[in-house]
Amino acid sequence: MDEPLLVADELVAGYVTGVDILRGCGAELGAGEIVGVIGPNGAGKSTLVKAMFGLLRVRTGSVRLRGADVTNRPAHELVSRGIGYVPQRQNVFATLTVEENLRMGTYLRPRRFTERRDFVEELFPLLAKRRNQKAGSMSGGERQMLAMGRALMMEPEVLLLDEPSAGLSPAYQDQVFARVKEINSTGVAIFMVEQNARRCLQICDRGYVLDQGTNAYTGTGHQLLHDEKVIELYLGTLARAR
Amino acid sequence: MRNFRLLVPLLAVLFVALAPGTAAAQGDEVVTGPGFGARALQALLDGVQFGAIIAITAVGLSLVFGTTHLINFAHGELVTIGAVVAFFLNISAGLHLVVAALIAVLIGALVGAILQLGLWAPLRRRGVGMINMFIVTIGLSLLLRHVILIFFGTRPQSYREYDIQRAIDLGPVGITPRDLTIVLISVGLLVGVALMLQKTRIGTAIRALSSNRDLAEASGIDVNRVVLVVWTLGGGLAAIGGVFFGLTEIITWDMGFRLLLLMFAGIILGGLGTAYGAMVGSFVVGIVAQMSSLWFPIDLQNAWALLALILVLLIRPQGILGQRERVG
Ligand SMILES: Nc1ncnc2c1ncn2[C@@H]1O[C@H](COP(=O)(O)OP(=O)(O)OP(=O)(O)O)[C@@H](O)[C@H]1O
Ligand SMILES: [Mg+2]
Repeated sequence: MDEPLLVADELVAGYVTGVDILRGCGAELGAGEIVGVIGPNGAGKSTLVKAMFGLLRVRTGSVRLRGADVTNRPAHELVSRGIGYVPQRQNVFATLTVEENLRMGTYLRPRRFTERRDFVEELFPLLAKRRNQKAGSMSGGERQMLAMGRALMMEPEVLLLDEPSAGLSPAYQDQVFARVKEINSTGVAIFMVEQNARRCLQICDRGYVLDQGTNAYTGTGHQLLHDEKVIELYLGTLARAR
Repeated sequence: MRNFRLLVPLLAVLFVALAPGTAAAQGDEVVTGPGFGARALQALLDGVQFGAIIAITAVGLSLVFGTTHLINFAHGELVTIGAVVAFFLNISAGLHLVVAALIAVLIGALVGAILQLGLWAPLRRRGVGMINMFIVTIGLSLLLRHVILIFFGTRPQSYREYDIQRAIDLGPVGITPRDLTIVLISVGLLVGVALMLQKTRIGTAIRALSSNRDLAEASGIDVNRVVLVVWTLGGGLAAIGGVFFGLTEIITWDMGFRLLLLMFAGIILGGLGTAYGAMVGSFVVGIVAQMSSLWFPIDLQNAWALLALILVLLIRPQGILGQRERVG
């Protein structure tokens, strides 16, 4: 049996003892895929990503990478095994410069810094011009570029993105989705949480709808976009109007 | 920044305005001593020296706070440990003070590392909250202080070498070769720490961790390792600061504890969480403390340093070098 690249299996996790936020949800990500996760606010989307990435203790269930159990492994180990993560909020080191942020991206492999920086700056030309600017003084959209750039510095095989387009202007959102596609085309599998459900599902191979810590719906991006129930409950009538 | 510039002349005016009153009260004494300008310069020089010692001890405290958010009330005891270990090696074991000091630094670094590995890391792993950890540091401070008391006793002591020296005459002011060396070494070490933070991989990681712990972890930084480096460095710096403090003043069982408030003042004044702020703030505290004795009783030195702290915070709540978070 060929297992997908990254598997989260029946995860139960939470922040406070006795309160489970994730209640048995799971997800799979195949090599080279783009997978989207949508769902209402507070559904546990960010929590799922954090649990998969070792930033939050998993109570039961397992996370497997290339078939190997990595449940509750520390994040820095997952980074060295080829996972990159961009958090929803506070996604840059605000007091560090752009270049230092990227440098921290290759903390585990400092020798590769120059080569990877050139790659990232080609993807996000803006960063090349801002090398010495403090990340904290950048706009939300610019930070998102830097955050993705930082996560790409280790040449990950999997990229976990938590709402990369949140709070960005339409033009910047277009950029983000275009970049995500571009990154994916270089062979990086992408696991993406999004509020902008329509846009997300349009570029995704598959999608998950999360609700109250469980999987409500699963399907290809196309199926979910046209599923009456999903539209009704999660995409909203705006989506139907199109 | 604009407000901050107003502060210096403000304090200067305040001090000068208060000067004549006290001078008159002291009557004839003032006339016989050196002129006011010379005394002020001397106090400034003493302040720089005192500030250097506060800075070198406060940097570790600041880095620990920055990377872990732990307010380490026991940091003063790391200072005392340095001074006392050097004392025993110097007097009881008969080692030259330079050798004794070097060993004391190693032991201080070791104590810092052991505290992190044996106490703070396990507590953190168990999810003990910050307030609880803070209370633990208060208990630890008390415990360490009294262990030191048992071994060292209450009597103030001095090192065998460099105890009494004649000052080098620098015109209106003088400084002993010992104190000059202390200032130079301290400033050298501070510059070294700054370069480390700014230029090296581990230094950048320390700043990254202070900026955003989760993201540091998400970037592949082994947070526990970095924090261990910070504790080791902080312990070593506190120890050397302790030796210097013991040299310039006197060694007592609670010397570090007495310095603690000034370290905190320096850190807060400079801007919580920035190591450079801690350095700048410590110098301000040291200078204000020494300069205040030009007008006021020496026992009130620390009170004036704390007043300066309050004044700065009223004008610049985030401290001198502290940065307000960009909102939104
Ligand atoms: N650090 C935390 N401590 C305690 N509870 C938390 C924490 N972070 C999230 N939660 C709780 O977990 C639940 C799920 O939060 P999560 O951030 O995963 O939602 P989300 O699906 O990402 O929502 P959004 O779309 O708003 O980002 C919420 O009820 C939230 O209150
Ligand atoms: Mg979220």
